[in-house]
Amino acid sequence: MIKNKYELLEHTADIGIRVKGKDLKEIFINSALAMFDIIAQRKSEINEIESSLPHIIKEQSDDWEQLFVNWLNELLSLSATKDLIFYDFEIEKLDGKNLEAKVWGEDIRNYNVNTEIKAATYHQLKIENKGLYWEAEVIFDV
Amino acid sequence: MSDIWGGPLEKIDDYRWRIPKSYKPGMRVDGIIYADERLLRDIRQDKAPEQVANVAFLPQIVKASLAMPDIHWGYGPSIGAVFATDIDSGGVITPAGVGFDINCGVRLLKTNFQYEEIKHKIKDLIYVLFDMVPAGVGSKGDIRISEREEREILIKGARWAVEKGYGIEEDLECTEEYGAMEGADPSTVSQRAYERGKAQSGTLGSGNHFLEIQMIDQLYDRNLCSQFGLTLGQIMVMIHSGSRGFGYQICDDYTRSMIQCLSKYNIKVPDRQLACAPFNSPEGKAYFSAMKCAANYAWNNRQCLMYLVRKGFEKVFGMGWQKMGMYLIYDVAHNIAKVEKHTVDGKKLTLCVHRKGATRAFGPNSPELPNRYKNTAQPVIIPGDMGRNSYLLVGTQKAMEETFGSTCHGAGRVKSRTTAMKSIDVNQLLRELDSKGIIVKASGKGTIVEEAPQAYKDVNEVVDVVHKAGISNRVCRMKPLGVIKG
Repeated sequence: MIKNKYELLEHTADIGIRVKGKDLKEIFINSALAMFDIIAQRKSEINEIESSLPHIIKEQSDDWEQLFVNWLNELLSLSATKDLIFYDFEIEKLDGKNLEAKVWGEDIRNYNVNTEIKAATYHQLKIENKGLYWEAEVIFDV
Repeated sequence: MSDIWGGPLEKIDDYRWRIPKSYKPGMRVDGIIYADERLLRDIRQDKAPEQVANVAFLPQIVKASLAMPDIHWGYGPSIGAVFATDIDSGGVITPAGVGFDINCGVRLLKTNFQYEEIKHKIKDLIYVLFDMVPAGVGSKGDIRISEREEREILIKGARWAVEKGYGIEEDLECTEEYGAMEGADPSTVSQRAYERGKAQSGTLGSGNHFLEIQMIDQLYDRNLCSQFGLTLGQIMVMIHSGSRGFGYQICDDYTRSMIQCLSKYNIKVPDRQLACAPFNSPEGKAYFSAMKCAANYAWNNRQCLMYLVRKGFEKVFGMGWQKMGMYLIYDVAHNIAKVEKHTVDGKKLTLCVHRKGATRAFGPNSPELPNRYKNTAQPVIIPGDMGRNSYLLVGTQKAMEETFGSTCHGAGRVKSRTTAMKSIDVNQLLRELDSKGIIVKASGKGTIVEEAPQAYKDVNEVVDVVHKAGISNRVCRMKPLGVIKG
């Protein structure tokens, strides 16, 4: 399902994505889903997701762009240190300077890992209000 | 995104092209790209030249914003960027001039085997090494270390491994900076970076990282080859890896803090990814110290990897590695910042030299080199893609004068990973490599395709330019026999 919510962008060294959403919350969530979709695929033979406690993410920044990049990089960092792939996100607070979210992850061993993403970058970063929807583009260093 | 870059590229000579500082208001120096006309066509295909121009905005940049012939589009500066700032007059340091994989680099070790002697063993070797060397995304190693030991690694670099018995003193002499930069303060490293780096020592990682068994297939400078103890048909091993998640976290941590520095120090750059701080500011000093920690982590990592390679050979051939002549030629970093003294316009300046996808290439008699390489100049190792060649070069006096003692680092991408994934068939690729006598083992098929030869410039053309431009000299060329990819 996430496949329909983003597209891959061409970039010589790296991988970029274009994501749509009805509001900024959805942009943040869909970008995170897309990022983990690039990183890993869930093994088909594993059915149930074991329920687990969410991790809490809190970010403070000067503007949307920083908040967005920091959000994705915080998820990458948590994923690498906790050996988790995040699959569910609940953003409780999001304004121009603050983000608070609950994120749920699952053991990375339940996934086939395809790509290592080192970080989300500011390179050609776009977060735009298109009227009826929002659109974001971000390039990952892989 | 494949618009052709239309900015000015003035021909200086057959191998040098200038982007004049008049191109954009705010550029403090010219941009200079090392390339021939053919490579220049590839280079114009993306916006890398624009990034060369953007780097020229950095405060107290001296001489020129340089780019090597393997230049391709990165974030902030291009890959293949070399630039230096005068730190005594407010020059800056930028994490983007080093990159996320701090001290990504290569080491080359020799053996005293000839191809003909062991050609039937290559497959065994690759399978044994694939088994022994942890590879792949987020791979973790058998070399387990406590947090206290990890701090020690950040200070001691490759010496930590040597003290543990994973190598000998001579290995350190044959490593850039003797395997550790001085002044690495572990307190500048975040707790998260520790966590992210834990258990990754002695692991290869993924992406373009590899371990290759190679054979020397061309000698260019017979005199230097004999000094390095190299002959035609000799079996060599090349290791390409970096600081892994530890380095990514440090780059991320300090990019965050340096974005704040742009307004604090009133620095104007055309791209936020070029976030930087004066080298001598608290933020600049903290990043440089943390970067050194990651650089030392990476040198230790490659030392541990070499130890595993030596063990693997011992297992297959049943004799000690010294008996097999598995000595290190050299280990170079190609994502790093250094404080170095260079002469600019007749004045000796203390510079922060950034090399992002570029290799130090110091000429003969440089005080930084060990005695064994004072006469020969610094060995420079240039990995190619898995289907083509790799090179051993040496630095030159001309590089000291022109490029802060720097040269290229590899082939450089021409095809994006996504295009490669779409257009290359993995089984056909493996058959092609097999027909060339190249065995490939990888943790996933994805990396084989992403790193396919078609996705890269021809390293032979890249090396041709740096050789003819005089910023390094060819010593010999290797071709791959067996490849382990992450």
